[in-house]
Amino acid sequence: MASDTIISLEDVTFSYQEDVVALRNLNLQVRRGEFVVVLGANGAGKSTLCYLLSGIVPHIYGGRRRGNVSVAGLDPWDEPLYVTSQHLGVLMQDPEVQLFMPTLKAELAFGPANLGISREEIARRTEAALALTRLQGLEEHNPRDLSGGQKQRAALAAVLTMDPAILVLDEPTSQLDPLGRWEVVEAITRLKEKGDLTIVMTTHETEEILHLADQVLVLDRGATVLQGPPAQVFGRSDRLEQAGVKTPALIQVRTDLLAKDGGAPTRRPEGEAGPDRALAGLPRELSVRSVAQEIREEVRAGRLTVLPEAVPPPRPMRADSPVILEARQVTVQYPGPPKVTALRDVSLQVRQGEFVGIVGQNGSGKSTLVKCFVGLLRPQKGQVLIHGQDLRKMAVGAIARRVGLVLQNPDYQLFTASCADEVRFGLRNVGVPPEEIEARVQEALQHVGLAEHAELFPFRLSFGDRRKLAVAATLALQPEVLIMDEPTTAQDHRGRYQLVELARRFHEERQTTVLVITHDVDLIARYAERLIVLCEGQVLLDGPTATVFGQVETLRKSFVVPPVAAQLARELESLGVPPHVMTLEDFYRVLRPAQREVVA
Amino acid sequence: MQPMFRYTHRDTPIHRLHPLVKMAYVALTLVLVMYPITPRDMPVLLTWLGFSAALWAVARIELRRFASLFKILLGTFIFLILIQGFTYRGGHTPLVVLGHLKLWEADLGVMTREGVWFGLVLCVRILAATSALPLFVMTTRASAIVTAMNRLRVPQTASFMFVSALSFTSLLFEMWNSIVEAQKLRAFDIDSMNVFQRAFKAYVPIITPLILLLFRKGNDFQIAMETKGFGAPAKPTEIETLTTRPADYAWLALIVGVFVLCTVIKFAG
Repeated sequence: MASDTIISLEDVTFSYQEDVVALRNLNLQVRRGEFVVVLGANGAGKSTLCYLLSGIVPHIYGGRRRGNVSVAGLDPWDEPLYVTSQHLGVLMQDPEVQLFMPTLKAELAFGPANLGISREEIARRTEAALALTRLQGLEEHNPRDLSGGQKQRAALAAVLTMDPAILVLDEPTSQLDPLGRWEVVEAITRLKEKGDLTIVMTTHETEEILHLADQVLVLDRGATVLQGPPAQVFGRSDRLEQAGVKTPALIQVRTDLLAKDGGAPTRRPEGEAGPDRALAGLPRELSVRSVAQEIREEVRAGRLTVLPEAVPPPRPMRADSPVILEARQVTVQYPGPPKVTALRDVSLQVRQGEFVGIVGQNGSGKSTLVKCFVGLLRPQKGQVLIHGQDLRKMAVGAIARRVGLVLQNPDYQLFTASCADEVRFGLRNVGVPPEEIEARVQEALQHVGLAEHAELFPFRLSFGDRRKLAVAATLALQPEVLIMDEPTTAQDHRGRYQLVELARRFHEERQTTVLVITHDVDLIARYAERLIVLCEGQVLLDGPTATVFGQVETLRKSFVVPPVAAQLARELESLGVPPHVMTLEDFYRVLRPAQREVVA
Repeated sequence: MQPMFRYTHRDTPIHRLHPLVKMAYVALTLVLVMYPITPRDMPVLLTWLGFSAALWAVARIELRRFASLFKILLGTFIFLILIQGFTYRGGHTPLVVLGHLKLWEADLGVMTREGVWFGLVLCVRILAATSALPLFVMTTRASAIVTAMNRLRVPQTASFMFVSALSFTSLLFEMWNSIVEAQKLRAFDIDSMNVFQRAFKAYVPIITPLILLLFRKGNDFQIAMETKGFGAPAKPTEIETLTTRPADYAWLALIVGVFVLCTVIKFAG
């Protein structure tokens, strides 16, 4: 082990007590001050690696390990957690479960106080951690009252007061909105700039860490697939795709469209593996503008052709369809203290058969709006109507039959002893005849691919399957409107659109109206024909998705950034790229190589 | 539904009060409500409850929270009044007669005025008992509670368990609300059910996921705590410096004074 190596894993294999091998022959050397990013699909072994480094296994989760692990000269396997924790701090995905003290100040003092650190030193560390995470002035707040980004920064600050040499971050941004993600990444960037901290971070958000990573490790089912500097790893988009890891969109575009070796553009036929296209000359700071400039040069050189007609304009909004859901001057205020006005005078109509995306920051009123649509909240002012009928006059069962809402966390939505019972639950409540119930249970479970698990206890399913079961239980009620709240949360690149695909199929087969609340602009671009942007309890923008994504300046108010393909299309409008291009697939249809030549 | 037990940062005399004085108030409340109870205790209990209400007011705690406490206990109050009304042995003035069913000294078919009154006394006793602890936790910082408990030589693990249990209560309320909402989405409306329907039909589907989730969250909390040195053999640092001011003695004298007054009224009356 080199003298500046602070983490060393040599041929490490780890399996949990159920004999499931979570890590296989893993080798990793991390130098002091290095920033290592670990990528992989769900189940790849990322969290297990974090647990192994921090001593959470074997001290909290049991298992068997082979190989050598050294963290700051210690083997976490042999040391009590309080010893390892003085060298390595760990931040997990969910900020809610890392904050347990009634004030932020107490939260930050908790760790060092346990170690008997002097009061003056705790005060100094607290002040430094608050400054670094930009949480000054919130010391006496209850951490549970903070926003998502603030909570995760508070959890980070609480780790920093332990003064660790190594920081392990396990998907620290996966449960945050774009603003929260930006805040946390900004804090992590400042930590990296300080230079004295070694950071190991797992994530699905490859775009976020592009400028931070010194070394990237890609895992697939516990084994190393790729390892090396970011330019090298992200050049292998084919291998990344196989491992369920998203290649950052700009690198993907460079790989797919731009020749960096002086040869012809080489958009490869789908499914065909190609060379490490983006490997050479990957700029540290890639931007839409720089990639657009490169594309312009390729077009001028005649190596790329623009085919504007390849992507027809989207069909106009459904002005003729009947209005199915309507909010009329709806105002909702939460009692507090302090009182919070979640919706202010919101009016909008949703027409039958529409596929609508709803975006906005946490606290913008998205969840409040859909809770009004399903009768969970009654507005203080205004009306919510289904087919023109006031929701206030409808019973819970009548609303549930018409509007279904799939919540973000499936664990709050599963109450029974088997998957089949879970689907039966709602059907019985709305009074469906017993013979029809069984048919609908079968149909719904088949629809989501869980028919063979009908008798399984729902909590034994994986997180993704629990979400599908929650969808099945909602779809079985055959609602006219299906609302999904954050269907991509905690999903990896491979599985992120599974739930929306279920909604799309339901939408196409039954002309169901679908509303999707999400922070994922790529999802919106791919599925939604209409986009509503909420900001501070009001409708900021509402219209065809492409038109709304074109309002870049207005979108900025709610921290919504259009998808990379849409941004590139706007940049290249002068070349004839239509502004309604929103997905990379459409972008590639419009920009095609002049000669179809494949570099081996 | 908001959790009752939650610290609210304010600058009031009660917030500034030494935590040991507030602990003394909680302890004296418990002693007072443990006295053997008789129907004549209403003035004593109302005096203490009035004193508690005054402390709530000085602490600038919203009436809404007291109302929430009352709402939670309302079912118990109705139950107590009905049970005592029909079963109180010393009852002799009929208020409602449904029939006659003699059991020992009580006529279970007759609701008596004395029984209803005794039920009301019990309700006030419960209200007095349950209003003390929320006042303490809503006006005292966690670190001050831990330091005060350390002064009383309570083991650190126990004092931390107390403080983290308060935090867990918030989480429990949030989870409960989320589950109830999810059930409404599937046409199962617990809010519209009566007490018996809830007991037999509603709580089982809520409690099952709640317990499973609590176990999972408990595990996550354990990770968060132990990776922050919880359980280290060092003597934990006291974050809060507790200093005693003349005002603390004055408040302690007032609390003890009211307690003595109540005791005198009870035993002299």
